[in-house]
Amino acid sequence: MSALEIWSTILGLTLVTLVTRNVFLVLGELLPMPERLQHGLRYAPACALAALLAPELLVQQGALAPTLANHKFVAGLAAIATMLATRSIVATMAVGMAAFTAARYFLV
Amino acid sequence: MIERVLFGRQPGLAQLRREAFVRGARAVAPALLATGVWGLVTGVAMVKTGLTEWQALGMTLTVFAGTAQMAALPLIAADAPVWVVLITATVVNLRFVIFSATLWPYLRHLPLARRLALGYVTADIAAAVFVARYAEAPEDERGSTEQVWFLLGVTSAIWLAWQVLSIAGIFIAGGIPGAWGLDFAAILALLGLTLPMINSRPALAGAAVAAVIAVAAANFPLKLGLVAAVIAGTAVAMVTEVAFDRVRGTG
Repeated sequence: MSALEIWSTILGLTLVTLVTRNVFLVLGELLPMPERLQHGLRYAPACALAALLAPELLVQQGALAPTLANHKFVAGLAAIATMLATRSIVATMAVGMAAFTAARYFLV
Repeated sequence: MIERVLFGRQPGLAQLRREAFVRGARAVAPALLATGVWGLVTGVAMVKTGLTEWQALGMTLTVFAGTAQMAALPLIAADAPVWVVLITATVVNLRFVIFSATLWPYLRHLPLARRLALGYVTADIAAAVFVARYAEAPEDERGSTEQVWFLLGVTSAIWLAWQVLSIAGIFIAGGIPGAWGLDFAAILALLGLTLPMINSRPALAGAAVAAVIAVAAANFPLKLGLVAAVIAGTAVAMVTEVAFDRVRGTG
């Protein structure tokens, strides 16, 4: 991309952030929502994060790969176990990275 | 002096605002390391993609959306048309439309400029922390000074952690070998943030469905699978909640 195209992209991405995060904050009056729906939307952030993460751990080169050869899957399991046991993000990252590194050296 | 600029001149109100702001910043503290690592990785990735340091600085300071930036970078590297990059980023960001609906009842009374500013800085983690704190608050308290300043404290702390580490990443990118697997550290950080949010049956059902759909649709163009996953997951969480309310006889 040329410098002009890159700066246009950056400007465009800024508008994308501004607009998507404000759709209902600007138009909420025009788009009334039932109470039940408003209440239920509190689950959206967890679903969004789960949807961002799952392919990172389970998909390798475009294919489903919950296997020992998928080092991110192996390390992800270790990290999940650590988080559930310790509730510490630091410990989760440390164990996850250690498992990732070990898997790369010791597993195929 | 700075205190007055930040929190206003009326002593009682200023104290209320300051306390709420600090509570917000403290509530998000456990997530700041994860935010910072994710920011660092994004900073490094921008420069490794070929952006100049000025372009990378411009991007982090204005776009402020890690997932959209990460989705845009391979397209920029591949010399894709600008509109393709923007459509992809829009799709990745559609989940924020849902978050904005979540925030609406709390911010609706604010002037438009403040709504726009708060909406602009509120991303995944901030929305999650705010919702975790106030989703069960009584309806007539929605949009109180305390809630608005709590959100401001949360977003300020996140913005600062993100920007400082992202800018650090931009300037140290050259010295970081890909072999360190730093991008995977960011995934682990997000994982650590996400698990505590899955703390009820509806949340577990919703997250599981979202994960399955995101994996099944991983190869869809323009990251449309992400959107489908968020919508389906949230819907399943809501249905599960209603079902359990019925079982308990409260629905």
